Amino acid sequence: MERPWPLTDLPEARRVHLDVREEIRAGREPFIRIMTAVKALGAEQVLVLRAPFEPLPLYEVLGRRGFAHWTERADPDDWSVWFFRDAEPVSAPTPRPAPARDARVVLDVRGLEPPHPMVRVLQAAERLPLGSVLEVRHERRPIFLYPQLDERGFDHETDEPEPGLVRILIRRREARA
Amino acid sequence: MRRHPLLPLGYLACAAVAFLLAAMGSVWLASDMAGHYYHPRLLALTHLVTLGWITVAIMGASYQLVPVVLERPIWSERLAGWQLAVMAVAVAGMVSHFALGTGLGLASAAGLLAVGIALHLLNVGLTFRRVTRWTFTARLILLGHGGLALTTLFGVTLAFNRVWRFLPDDFFPILHAHLLLALFGWVAPMVLGVSARIYPMFLLTPEPNRTVSRVQLWSLTLGVPSVVLGVMDRPPLLALGGFALALTAGSHAASILNMVRGRKRPQLDWSFRFVVTATAFLLPAAVVGLGLAVNFLAGPRPALAFAVLLLGGWISLTIVGMMLKVVPFLVWSRVYGPRAGREPVPTLAQLCWPRAESLAYALLVSGIGLLGATVWLGGVVWIRGAGAVVALGALAFATALARILGHLRSGGVVHVEAHAR
Repeated sequence: MERPWPLTDLPEARRVHLDVREEIRAGREPFIRIMTAVKALGAEQVLVLRAPFEPLPLYEVLGRRGFAHWTERADPDDWSVWFFRDAEPVSAPTPRPAPARDARVVLDVRGLEPPHPMVRVLQAAERLPLGSVLEVRHERRPIFLYPQLDERGFDHETDEPEPGLVRILIRRREARA
Repeated sequence: MRRHPLLPLGYLACAAVAFLLAAMGSVWLASDMAGHYYHPRLLALTHLVTLGWITVAIMGASYQLVPVVLERPIWSERLAGWQLAVMAVAVAGMVSHFALGTGLGLASAAGLLAVGIALHLLNVGLTFRRVTRWTFTARLILLGHGGLALTTLFGVTLAFNRVWRFLPDDFFPILHAHLLLALFGWVAPMVLGVSARIYPMFLLTPEPNRTVSRVQLWSLTLGVPSVVLGVMDRPPLLALGGFALALTAGSHAASILNMVRGRKRPQLDWSFRFVVTATAFLLPAAVVGLGLAVNFLAGPRPALAFAVLLLGGWISLTIVGMMLKVVPFLVWSRVYGPRAGREPVPTLAQLCWPRAESLAYALLVSGIGLLGATVWLGGVVWIRGAGAVVALGALAFATALARILGHLRSGGVVHVEAHAR
């Protein structure tokens, strides 16, 4: 997925990098260090957190503090999450581009603990414009997700293009006349 | 496919009630536990544990986990609902008739229980019909249900024998075979199979490698018939089967250790601390079990200690740990699943009560360890004391579950504690 607009062309000076991979591998808890870094962030600064897995609980904790996030995965055990303040800047009223019809959004939920894959997929599906396709990459057939998608008016199809990869294509159901 | 999380929750809630009653029963029956295990009230307690707690919990968990493991929906949820009603009445009947020593009542309850188990076998069997990928877990679940059918057959035979007396006077070999089938033919394959698929999901670790899985599958497949035939008519097979099952236990423990070491979760939650500790109980259980199998140990006290270590230490603590994972997930699915993606929803950890879980852990682990030692030594006061610790632990566990289930009543409106992580 493309980097969201608040992060495009963000100068290095406004990025605060925090790498907690070694700390987690050593069995230590990095939460306090992360929160200290968050508290010290300036109004214009963005926290770039590197972790060995997707730090899902942080999304909610920092979300409550007004932070949005954008995640990229370089390797299965190398995740970078950008936490940025989720407010529209007055001086930069650039409209967010709407996803084009027939656009494909890819969401990889492999390596996440249940029920986070379901939450992530439903969040992405709810934002999906009519005509776009959400491609979910999963480790297994999400048997409990399907009823939720059915009830919310999404069509879905699942295949397994390779061992260990289950692909689910999700579309908003077209209203029938 | 419409799923109702309340179905497995109903099973798990009934099982938790049975666990609490059984734990309290161990205080009440301390003097009986200091004697021979073939005592009407001890048989009642044993069946409250093996049927009311362990079997009902595994069946409930099956209706949640089998669709995940087999990637197929359960054949009929309605049938599973009726089955719970049958099982609840049958287990209550069996436990009370064992305690009262009424043969006809016991035979009737056993017949009803056989109907309940047949409904389960039918439901799972028809679910399996649509399976195309025979994984290690799928094979073990199938093996376990074969073990359940045989355990039931032996059990019903013993119950009917109380009324119609068709077995030889010395029916202890069949009684021992019934217990061994329940432990290693039914419960062990289910625990091994489900843990290979579900633990990696929550620990964020790779599934066990094929060699370890094959060792577990083949040693169990060889070990179960050997110990059963060994106790019935072929004593040399008992030692062979004992070693095969010790190998199963050892390879299972090694695979759990590997999963825990390779996990990406920085900290083990209480659910997995229960699971890891439960696995550690396999070591003393295997030592005592092997001692019994090779006739190094004999008599009712080591046998009772073996039962406590295996039923209480390994199996019960594993089920407690898994329930602390499965119950929040089911409640979350019911209350918050429909809202996920539309509004902020709590995490599973936020539904739990770590303080109660840690208390349950301390009390249950120490209590079951003590109970294993004290039933071997045979001191009534010490057994009662250990039983009281287990009962308090069961109470703490039930309280932790009740708090999670409270979200169902409030529809998620209750205040969710803001956890630091």
